[in-house]
Parts: sequence; structure tokens; C-alpha cells
Amino acid sequence: MPNRLLWTSSRRYLARHLWLMGLSVLGVALGVAVVVGIDLANTSAERAFRLSADRLTGQATHQVVGAGGGLRTSAYRRVRTRPYVGGRPAGDTAGVDRGAFMTKEGAALMSAPTARALGKRPGDTLRIAVDGQPRTLQLVGLLRSRDERTRRATRNLLVTDIATAQEVLGKREQLTRIDLILPESEAGEKRAKNRLQQALPPGAEIRRSEARTETVEQMTRAFSLNLSALSLLALVVGLFLIYNTMTFSVVQRRPLIGRLRALGVTRGEVFALVLGEAALVGLVGTLVGLALGVGLAQGLVRLVTRAINDLYFVVNVQDVTVTPWVLAKGAALGMGATLAAAYAPAREAARAEVSVTLQRSRAESAARSLAPRLAFAGVAVALLAGVLLLAPGQSIWVGYAALFCALLAAALLAPAAVVALARALRPVMEKIFGVLGRMAARGLRQSLSRTGVAIAALMVAVAATVGVGVMTKSFRQTVRAWLTYSLQSDVYVQPPSLVFRRSTATLARGTADTLAQVPGVAGAHTVRRVEVASSAGPTQLVAIKPGPETQDTYRFKTGDPAQVWPRFRGGENVVIVSEPYGYRTGTEVGDTLRLQTDRGRDAFRVGAVFYDYASDRGVVTMSRATYDRYYDDERVSGVALRAVSGLSADSLAARVRAAAPPGQELVVQSSRGLREASLEIFDRTFAITNVLRLLAVVVAFIGVLSALMALQLERRRELAVMRAGGMTPGQVGGYVTLQTGLMGLAAGLLALPLGMALSYVLVFVINKRSFGWTLQLQVPPEILLQAVGLALAAALLAGAYPAWKMARANPAEAMREG
Amino acid sequence: MNSSPPLARLPLPALFTAALLLVATAGCDRPADSVSSESVAVAGAMGSGDTTGYARATSPRPFSFPEDHGPHPGFKTEWWYVTGNLDTPKGRHLGYQFTIFRIAMAPPDSGRAPLQPASTGGADTSASGWRTDQFYMAHLAVSDVRGERHYDFERFARGAAGLAGARAEPFRVWTEGWQMAEPDSAGDADIFPLRLTAQAGGSNGEKSVALDLRLTSAKEKVLQGERGLSQKGPGAGNASFYYSFTRLPTEGTVAAGGDTLRVRGPSWMDREWSTSALGEEQAGWDWFALQLSGGRELMYYQLRQKGGAPSAYSEGVLVGPRGEVTHLTREDVALDVLEQWTAESGATYPAKWRLRVPSENLDLTVTPYFENQVMNTSVRYWEGAVRVEGSAGGSASGSGYVELTGYGEEGEGKEGRGMLP
Repeated sequence: MPNRLLWTSSRRYLARHLWLMGLSVLGVALGVAVVVGIDLANTSAERAFRLSADRLTGQATHQVVGAGGGLRTSAYRRVRTRPYVGGRPAGDTAGVDRGAFMTKEGAALMSAPTARALGKRPGDTLRIAVDGQPRTLQLVGLLRSRDERTRRATRNLLVTDIATAQEVLGKREQLTRIDLILPESEAGEKRAKNRLQQALPPGAEIRRSEARTETVEQMTRAFSLNLSALSLLALVVGLFLIYNTMTFSVVQRRPLIGRLRALGVTRGEVFALVLGEAALVGLVGTLVGLALGVGLAQGLVRLVTRAINDLYFVVNVQDVTVTPWVLAKGAALGMGATLAAAYAPAREAARAEVSVTLQRSRAESAARSLAPRLAFAGVAVALLAGVLLLAPGQSIWVGYAALFCALLAAALLAPAAVVALARALRPVMEKIFGVLGRMAARGLRQSLSRTGVAIAALMVAVAATVGVGVMTKSFRQTVRAWLTYSLQSDVYVQPPSLVFRRSTATLARGTADTLAQVPGVAGAHTVRRVEVASSAGPTQLVAIKPGPETQDTYRFKTGDPAQVWPRFRGGENVVIVSEPYGYRTGTEVGDTLRLQTDRGRDAFRVGAVFYDYASDRGVVTMSRATYDRYYDDERVSGVALRAVSGLSADSLAARVRAAAPPGQELVVQSSRGLREASLEIFDRTFAITNVLRLLAVVVAFIGVLSALMALQLERRRELAVMRAGGMTPGQVGGYVTLQTGLMGLAAGLLALPLGMALSYVLVFVINKRSFGWTLQLQVPPEILLQAVGLALAAALLAGAYPAWKMARANPAEAMREG
Repeated sequence: MNSSPPLARLPLPALFTAALLLVATAGCDRPADSVSSESVAVAGAMGSGDTTGYARATSPRPFSFPEDHGPHPGFKTEWWYVTGNLDTPKGRHLGYQFTIFRIAMAPPDSGRAPLQPASTGGADTSASGWRTDQFYMAHLAVSDVRGERHYDFERFARGAAGLAGARAEPFRVWTEGWQMAEPDSAGDADIFPLRLTAQAGGSNGEKSVALDLRLTSAKEKVLQGERGLSQKGPGAGNASFYYSFTRLPTEGTVAAGGDTLRVRGPSWMDREWSTSALGEEQAGWDWFALQLSGGRELMYYQLRQKGGAPSAYSEGVLVGPRGEVTHLTREDVALDVLEQWTAESGATYPAKWRLRVPSENLDLTVTPYFENQVMNTSVRYWEGAVRVEGSAGGSASGSGYVELTGYGEEGEGKEGRGMLP
């Protein structure tokens, strides 16, 4: 019978503490939801990209690409005398008038669902813009997909004949690439490559088809990884919550467990009981979390997609792809975390002495005596975190491992810190609030078994907001400062582009010259951005025509400006590379970079590494004079204009807009406008970070709420005794409020050093390793104040209901109920 | 020659699928079998061949050379069709076919929509160098009689950007790396000596084939039909312009299956262009180009009605040793199938004939060198080297080429209506 007795008691306990369990379930659910939501958003974006990339690659194994802006069409003619075979067209073109497709100018195909969504039918006109220039296409047919996969892959495609594409894109004699199917055998592949290389112009390169997709995916890898890591934060906070709930339940039932043990229940059964309860909470929480996560992903995917589009490349993710693998991972994390958090309380319960009705005071003194031991473990874990940080290497995961170690260490140190803090605060509290204050401070110490964990959870969550907040702020300040010195021209002109930071769009021929002639322009400098291959991998190359002030717009991390600039201007084979590029590829001053040019691969000396926050992939910058020697490309990606003195940037911008050639839409921004736009993008990118931070706080809040409510409601009898002893309801309410406020204060104060440590790791380890940026650490006091305020507010809010309820409780009844 | 040879029956969709291949990726030079099932199964389009706006062959016209050796882009279809029977010094026999087809995808001056705007703005609005309405397809096959191996390949390319094209002077017709050209054009009206070069199926291996042949002409060209106007069906315009070089002494090298062989023998070239369709009632055709000992050549095509009966528009020509021409009509010729052969695809082809021209005292037995000479190209047809034996004491023996279309390929998912006119 003991078994049935056991489970009956368990059921009754859970039923009586439904709200507590409910909050725990919610905590787990939110943690799992955030992890799953981010994971789904990331994988959906990646999948959408891969699908359309694969669709365009088809069965091709290799591709020929040009050095910079593209490949001359003659390359294709030359290649075609060599044997190889080709791939498959996108989608099924049944019902398409193929004659019209090839011969009609502007003829295009699109997927049937896309056409439906746009309200277009074959024969309709499509208005599109190419680098800001309007074009008209005619829809001559629809791509009908046989399956869902194809439908998704073709959704963002406009398929045209190559002649149409050249005309519409304004690239008459250019191809983007040539797809090849080369023999599979190594020898055959090599032979085919050799023969092809002979037919190709010197700048062309044969590479594996996956190379491009992989490159693009790598771009977002650090981004996705950071999101995933941040999403785990919510789960970590949730983990504290579970630990708290289970510990509380064990402490509260200690007498009952003792009696059950006397009735013959074994330690194993008690252990199983507690873990079983935790598993139930975990299971329900995880299931709810998975459902919430799928919902959350719908919103998050938009944020992720927007950030990717701002920063990296255009990907259109319309639906979240819910893969079983992601759900399984989320479920495993949820259940695993719950059981891990419940392990210690379960063991604790299993140790309960037979038939001895333990006083909680004993448990509490045990918790207090445990505090130094925990603190000791905390120091050990902190040391581990330090070792991980100091370990050489660039692994982002190791960085995050150190980060989580720091969190764990802080949590372990929390009880000892609370004891010390409570002791230190007692005189202060007494001075301000009298005897109530002293009681509150002492109560905090005395109920450490529960308050310790609640405080730790709140501390971790608040510290996370501090760490992420400081990091974001530092980042923003650094970018702002950089924008200020790097944007020294007055007006910036570029064609509209889908990807803000990586635009390789070009202006129509002659536009740059036209704009330079606008009255009021004192100087004009052009910029050209292209993707090229290099000895260090795919590289964004920026060619600038340096003006007199150019020198001031670059700050070198390494390299001597006095030496570099004259050679740079002189058109020598000197390049300067941005910091992320240097970090990512291990390129340093004095190194030689071999860039793919239209003259073949050529060596360029790295003269300097400069600070740059425009691209996390980094750029290689050379002078236009050098570029023109190596690349057959006259195009221009943007123009920077300086106003004559006395003319404001805004007035010049207005003149430039008026002077824009018809048919060429331009993005004309004053330096101020561009700065604001850049910061706006920055803020947009970090929007998702803030969402994650907030979610962690929500979980922490739930944790504090449940911990404090459990604590205070359980103390009804104690409070009733106080009432009976002559305390007014107001005094009891004040006592409860003071105590919860003290907990909040403790969490807030403890969160500050931890938050600073986290921000340090985020800025100097995680960010550096992810993107290679050097950020100036900025600690705005308002973030610290906010953190303490947040902790206090959360605690006070959580304590409000218990305080109100305690104050109103009828002492006689409360004492009877016990 | 092939009166309305394979092209007439090509479902256009197949061609445009190929065109799409070129657009989306770089295509071709595929061993033909890898593409056929897929391409032929493509549905639709192009109706039953709208011929509005194209030039038509309505009445005999004076030919003008060298111009007429070049392309006639106003007509919907055109081809340069070369077949031949070659021998190595040791007597190993090879047949080959090398054909370049030109297809117009839009009628001349069909008034393209001008590309948008591009209001001036300095934008480059000239047409792309890849813009064209001319499409080229080339077929290449070698029949190696010794091992009974048949190699076939096809290529597609647009008639632009130097990828494919045709020109009369100096004569050159090419589809990517495959070409027929007069390398040392003498500025005369002919195209000889003509050099054929084509390579396919990998650089050097079991499945590869290469031709490098030099052709001269032993006889003046023969104008088929009525002064070069070859009527294929009822109604004005259902005809083609058609002339042939019936005996072209050839030498050079052929590489097949890893062997490179010096060869010599006679070739045959047909030139034909038209904007006409087979009639609804016509099912296909059997075409014979035979080169007989004694210096005579016989061309005869028999159009088959749906029921199998020969069409009245079947016709032929007998060329004498000094180039004298005798036109043959359906009534002059008796063609009997002696044997049949069923291909893997299930299509059953005639595989031995008795061909008689009583008025010329000819009684010939025509036998394929081997049976499986099916072109597994976008459209499947049989095109093969044949041996000719004359009953009259060998005075009429020889070799030649036969083309068979419309034999059971219809069942393979091709939408019969989508053929080129």
C-alpha cells in the first residue's frame, strides 16, 4: 500500500498547489518556447535560402564565375566547344509559350502561387525596378510546381530568357555564371577542369556549386548561433524556476516524507516521486512550450528575415518550416533541463530521516551551512569560466560555455552573497524601517532554502538584461562614433538595394558624372562594391576614388597612415582591409592577399587594417585607380558628394534629387540621414536581441512570483502568530512587502557585477569571435539603475498579492489551518 | 532527302525545353537518351504550328548561290543534312549522320514589344547580344557496323552570341563546337571542299565520337521536285525548297568508342527549308538516299497516310553517272517491306525492303547494316546506314541512308499536335 499512499499524497499535494505548479509549467513552457521559436526561425530562413539556391543550381556540380562584376558572354561561347552537360530548368513549364519566352523582349515566368498572390495572370504586365530603374516585364506563363518543395523554391523566382535578363539588368555582355556538370571521378573532374580553364578568360574561376551556397550560409552562421545562444538564456532562467519549485515542494513536505518513510516507502520511491512530479511539470511545460514556440516562430521569423535582409542577402521566408528535429531538440532540452533541475531536490528528499518530523529550522540552518560550500563550488566554476575565456581559439561556443559558467558560478555564489548582504543590510533596514526592517532582513536569511534560488533566478535574468544591454549600448555608441568620422561627405547617393549593407547594385552609366555636375557640389567620390574570390575566400572588394578628406574617414587599427595613403592613392598594389575581414581570414598588415581579377590572380599587399562596422564579413578596399587596372568594370555603386561651403547637406540633397536622371531612382541621403538610417538598421537588427532579453525577464518574473508567493503563503501561520502578537494588518503587509523588496534589491545588486561580467564576455569575447569587431565598452549608469529598479519592481509586484492576502487573513483561522 | 525530316515531327516543346536548359543552365551535348523521355513528355504549346507571318514555299524560284547555301530566317525550318557510308582501308564500315537544323521561333518582324523605359537616363537599352528568334539544333550519329554500335548525340543553341548560326559566304553552319564550313572559301558559288568537325560524349572514351571529314563534290547539285520546289501535301505553301548533293567523295577521320579511324567513302547532303506542315492525314515517312555502283544515286521518299497507304505526294529522283536527272513519282516506284524489327521502346520499324523502279529496270534489296540505329534524341526516329543489293547481277549494289519516322513513337507522351509545321 505504501506506493498508493505515496502517489495519492503526491496527487493531493499537486492539486493543492496548482497555482505553484502552474507557474512552473509556464516557466518551462516559456523557456522551451523561446528556444524552439528561435531555432525554427533560423532553420526556416536557412531552409528557404537553401531551397532556392539548390533550385537554381539544379544538378550542376560546378560553376564558372568571373573575377568581379561577372563573366563576359564570350566565355560561354568558348566553354561550349568543350564537352559537358547541363542541368534542369526550374519548375515545370507546362503550358508556357516557349517561343514567346525566348523571343519576346521582357517575357518572364513566375510561379503560379506568386502570380496569384500578386493578382497577375499570363499576359499581364509586371513592373519591376532594377537598381532603381523601372522595367516592364510581361508575364508569359506560370511555373507550376509538382510538390510543395518546388513550390517554395520557385516562389521567389522570376525566370526569363538570358537575353531578357541581360537587357532588363542592363548587363548586355555579361553572364553571372556558367553552370557545369563535370565528371564525378577525381581524375575526370581534374581533366575537365584543365580543359575548361584553357578555354576561359584569365579572370574566370571554376568552383564547386555548393561553394556559393556555403559561403552565403556561413555569412549568417555567427548571427544564427548568437541568437540560439541567447535563446538558451530563457531556458536557463526557467531551469532555476523548476529547481525552486521542486526544492520548495520538498522542503514543505519534509514531515510528510518522513512519515511516509516510516510507513515503509523506500528512498528510491521518494526519489522517483519527486522526479516524477518534476517530469509531469516538465512534460506539460514542454508540450505547451512547443506549441507556444511554433507560434512565437511566426513572429520571430520576420525579425530574423529582416535582419538577414538588412545585413546579408535577400531571402524571402513566408512560412515557418516546422521540422520534427527542431521540436525533438526543444522537447529534449525542456525535459532534460527540468529533470536536471529536479535532481538535487529529489536527492534531498530521498535522504529524509525516517519518521522524524523535521523542523524547517533545521533545513534552513542546513541551507545556511550549505551556503559556503555552494560558494566554494561557485568559485571553482568561476575559475573554469576564466580558463575557458583565456583558452586560445576563436570558438564562439567556448565563449558561450564560459558565459554560462559565469552564470552558474554566480548562482552558486548567490546564497552566500544573500547571507552577507542580509547581514550587512540589517542595521540599515532597522534604521529606516525599525523592527519590521530588521525582521525582514533576518527572515530573508532564515528562509534561504527558498529565497536563495528565487534571488538567484532573478539575478541571472536581470544580469542578462544588464549584459545584453551594455553590449548593445556599447555597440551602438561605437557604431555611432564610427559613422560620425567615416561619413564626412555631405550627400550620399546609391541605387535602391534590397540588402542595405552589402549593396552591389550599380548606378546607370553616366549618373555619377551627372551628379558631380550639380551646382553646389564641391567634390564627388565614387564607390564600387563587388564580390571577388581571393586566397582568403570570397571577399567583398570596395574600390574608392579617394578625395582629400578620405584619409580622415578611415581609422587604422594597425598600419601607418603616412606610409599607406600615398601608395594607396598612387594606384599601387596596396589594399586596406577592415577589422572583421582581418580577424575572419587571419589577414594582417604586411600580408599578401591574392585577389581574383580580370587579369588572373594577382598579389596585393595589405597596408592597414581599419575599423569598420558596416559589414561583419569585412571588406577589402583598394583605390579606384588600382581597380580599373585589374577589372574591366566601369560601373559605380554609389557616389559621395561634398557641398560647397555655405550650402547645407539637406539643400544639396534636394538639388541632387532634382537632378536625378529620369528613369533612375536614387537613394539620396544627407550624411545625417544616412547616419540615422544606419542606426535605425542597427536598432532593427538588435530588436530580436531585445525580444529575447525581455522573454528571459518574463520567465524570471514568473520565477520570482512563484517563489515569493509560495514562501509567503506558506508562512501564513507564522504571520498569524505575528498578528496575534499584536501586529496590525498594515504592519504584516509592510513586513511581507519589505521582505520581498529586500529580495528584489539583493537580486538587483548582485546582478550588477554579474551583468558587467556578462557584458565584458559579450563585447570582448563573443562579439569579437563572432564578427571580429572591436567595441568600446560603455557602461551607461541608467542601464544599471534600470536593472536594480527592474529587480525591485518585479519582487514588489510578486509580493503584492501575498502581502495583501496576509494582511487580510483572519489570524485565528490561519493558525488553525496550519 | 528527308522530305520533311525529323524536324517536321519535332514537338516544338522539346526544343523549347532545351532552350530553357540553355537559359537556366548551360546545356547539352547529352547522350541523347538522357533527355528524350523527359523532353518529349513536356506538354503543349505552340498549337499546331501557327505559320502566320512566315515566308512560304509557294512556287518555284530561281536559286541564287552562294546565298542559298546560307540561312533563310524568314522560313520556319531549315536544315543542312549530311549522311555518309565510310570505310577504313581494312574494310571496317561506318555510317554517319551530321545535321544542323535551324528553327525560327517567331515570324520575321513580328514586332517585339520594345523593352521598357529605360527612358533615356543614360541607360543602355540596346538589345542583348543573346536576343534572337533563331534556334539551332544539331544531331550527330555514328554507326559502327563491326560492333553494331550506334552513337547519337544532340545539341541545342540559340543563333546568337556566336553560339550557333549559319552564313553563306564564307560558308559556315555551326552549333557550338560542331560545324560544317568551307575553310578556304574560293569566293565561288559552291561550298566545297567542305569540312565537317564535331565531337561529343567526353574527351576520349568508350562513349565518345568525333568527326573530322573533308567533302568534295563529284556532281552538280540536284534540284528536287519542280525546279527545287518539293510539294509535301495539298495546298499552296505545303512545300519546301529542296536541293541535294548526291555524291560527295569524303575522307578524313572518325573516332568512335576509343578508336580513331582513317576513312573514305561517299556522303550525301540535303538542303531544305520550308514553312509547311504534314497534313493531318499523314503519319510519317520512309526516306531513301542510295548511292549505287556505276555512279547512280536514287532518292525516294514515301509519305505514309494514317492507314499506312503511301501518299500521292511521295516522290523521288534518279541521278545518272553524269548528273542526268530523272524525276520519279509515286507511281514509278514500288516499295515493299520484307522484314520488321522491334526496338526496345516497343516501336516496330521496317528492317528490309524491296524497292523497284520498273521504268529504270531497278530492283533493289535494301537492308540496314544493323537494326538498332534509332536516334534517341528529343524526338525519336530511325536513321541508319543501309546496304543495297541489286538483283540485276550486282550492277546496282551500293549503300545509302534510310530515315523512318512515325513508327510507334506517338505513344510516348508526345502530343502529336505540337509538331513543327
